[in-house]
Amino acid sequence: MKTNRTMVLLAIIGALTLGQRVWADDTNAADEIGVLRQQIDSLDQKVRILERQREVDRDAATDSAKEAVRTMPVITAGANGFSFRSADTNFMLALHGLVDVDSRSFFEDHGLKGNDGFILRRARPILQGTVFRDFDFLFVPDFGGSTVQIQDAYLNYRFSPELQLQGGKFKSPVGLEQLQSDTAILFNERSLATDLVPNRDLGVELHGDLFGGVISYAAGIFDGAPDYSGTTTNADYDDDKALAGRLFVQPFKTTSLSALRGFGFGIGGSYEVDRASTNTVNTGLTPGYLTDGQQKLFSYTNGVAGNGAHWRISPQGYYYYGPVSLLGEYVISEQRVQNFTKGKTAELQNSAWEISGGWVLTGEDASYAGVTPRHSFDPWNGGWGAVQLVGRYAELNVDKAAFPIFADPGTSASSAQAWAVGLNWYLNRDIRVDTSFSRTRFDGGTGAKATVTRQPENVFFTRMQLAF
Amino acid sequence: MKITCKVLSLLVFSLLAAGQAREIELLNVSYDPTRELYQDYNAAFAKYWKARTGDTVTILQSHGGSGKQARSVIDGLGADVVTLALAYDIDAIAEKGKLIPDDWQKRLPDNSTPYTSTIVFLVRKGNPKGIRDWDDLVKPGVSVITPNPKTSGGARWNYLAAWGYALKTQGNDESKARAFVARLFKNVPVLDTGARGATTTFVQRGIGDVLIAWENEALLSLKESGKDEFEIIAPSLSILAEPPVTWVDRVVKKHGTREVAKAYLQYLYSPEGQEIAAKNFYRPRLEVVAQKYAAVFPKVNLFTIDQVFGGWQKAQTTHFNEGGVFDQIQQSNR
Repeated sequence: MKTNRTMVLLAIIGALTLGQRVWADDTNAADEIGVLRQQIDSLDQKVRILERQREVDRDAATDSAKEAVRTMPVITAGANGFSFRSADTNFMLALHGLVDVDSRSFFEDHGLKGNDGFILRRARPILQGTVFRDFDFLFVPDFGGSTVQIQDAYLNYRFSPELQLQGGKFKSPVGLEQLQSDTAILFNERSLATDLVPNRDLGVELHGDLFGGVISYAAGIFDGAPDYSGTTTNADYDDDKALAGRLFVQPFKTTSLSALRGFGFGIGGSYEVDRASTNTVNTGLTPGYLTDGQQKLFSYTNGVAGNGAHWRISPQGYYYYGPVSLLGEYVISEQRVQNFTKGKTAELQNSAWEISGGWVLTGEDASYAGVTPRHSFDPWNGGWGAVQLVGRYAELNVDKAAFPIFADPGTSASSAQAWAVGLNWYLNRDIRVDTSFSRTRFDGGTGAKATVTRQPENVFFTRMQLAF
Repeated sequence: MKITCKVLSLLVFSLLAAGQAREIELLNVSYDPTRELYQDYNAAFAKYWKARTGDTVTILQSHGGSGKQARSVIDGLGADVVTLALAYDIDAIAEKGKLIPDDWQKRLPDNSTPYTSTIVFLVRKGNPKGIRDWDDLVKPGVSVITPNPKTSGGARWNYLAAWGYALKTQGNDESKARAFVARLFKNVPVLDTGARGATTTFVQRGIGDVLIAWENEALLSLKESGKDEFEIIAPSLSILAEPPVTWVDRVVKKHGTREVAKAYLQYLYSPEGQEIAAKNFYRPRLEVVAQKYAAVFPKVNLFTIDQVFGGWQKAQTTHFNEGGVFDQIQQSNR
């Protein structure tokens, strides 16, 4: 019995001991799991932190690389020329170029010599730049033609788009066609209307665009230039100065009326008082009004000079819509002239007008700044550039009172009417090939058959233009 | 005479036409967390401006670290308006870029800060580390997420809020405040470059126990992630953050957008603008709107930067410039 009780007790103690060990083992396992979980959580955080740190470092490296690129001077070469500029765009220098190689073939000119042939019409390296963010400059020498001359050399301060001050040598703000870039004009030569407006002049002008370009203005004081002359000077010929200005409105430019956005009109004008002498080098008068073929259709006789008020006025306008373009202007140039030899004076009012238009057959948009072909010439890949059909009519009328005291009716016409048609092929943004035909009829011109004005002028033009 | 009449009619017609509807673009260069605010606000302003003038205005946005954004504007980014995290960054645009006048802050009400915010804590649901105030952030084992004060405007507010708290609770002792902030930054495992990046670190990457954040950013995280994941803890003391706005004179002059840029910022003060700010968790200035949204914003004792640090210029020079206190703290923590 005693043995049995002992056996039972031993069994109970054994069972209790075993149970305690099992319970103790469970507790230890839970603790370990807790510790392991903590370790896993800690490691998980560390991994997440390392991954995130890598992301942050990568972003920082990307930002640094972008910053390095952003602060590096930028060199570009493309269809718009070659340039390099500081990273902040405050300093920039660009090299552009313009080369026009023309041919003129005259028909039925009754033996006029020396007017047919190939001509290097323009050869201009163009240096354009900006210094200290707000100061722009342009320097354009021209090695084309028969004389080397500086076309443009000016400095422009941009206070804001609305208010800018420009000084140096540049186009006088009067004629619409004259102010259009050589790369955007429709024909090889500008029209008879441009014969009456000033070309480039030396002076200072305020100019700007108001309301996002809805209104453009320019007004300045200049040395004073004669009616259009291809060759310009770099100095004044008298003490008096000319005032010139232009106001141009594009009322729909910033509206959603797409059919009218390209409509603009304005007025340009100038006023000066010539006090020329008999010094025939600087008479204050045009060296000659030129035909489309650049032949002299009118000039004043020797001994005649400007001596008094000279004013011009030019209402003008254009319309561009899709591939269609129209441009027109009317110019009056009235000048008091004196024939010092004959002691006669007169106020002569000459006038001219033109209307020209174009249609881009390949559908590209036309604009005052020119035509940009949608596809560059690349026949192997189906690119043919842009083709534009162009036409123009222009008239120039010289004051009847100019004859015979101030101009020779034998060599000068009293009026001219010219029409022209042409086809312009824009191979790409830089190269253009033009062909056109122009016919100019003259009134007056009673000289020999070999004089320009004796018979109509018929000219076939071609042009190869490189402009970048 | 007839011709004169025709010319006059044409001129009048043209001038009338010139007054027709325009299409205008504005660029708003802003800091990181304002994306949602200006997305809503721009749509409302465009509608308002169209009704008022007939013009169509499109507002483009640029967001990034406030300091970096200011640098970009100085370097030529054509911002018509800037809406940055702190006045110092706009001061830099005035001083270094010369793009706005020095007294720009006087041009709009409330020192050109149409809305305010403050700095709060975002913690994980249940607040497992028991974070209640700034003191809890310096305890060992607490992982704190805040961006880098050198690049982030929000981080500078965070830093100064902590410093201000330490000063207040430790007898205005600068050395104790410095030690406090040093311990806090010792608990920061990752320094993001901007406030939005820090939110990503905490919310999306699951790193850290607490995010020191703009109140608007914390409320937005709560809205987007749900209240099951995070809680907002308002500390006993924080800083009144005043993000300023202004138009950039030289740019608006160049773009011809002065009138619309000015109106764009003035509209922020209107009841409609204030309502949009409040809906996007920025504290509105307008009392009526502030009362309407009082329940959204926890009550916090606030101090201003002028009261504790003597203004942004001084705070920047002392703490955040090269070799300043923050750099020294980071050096000693390595």
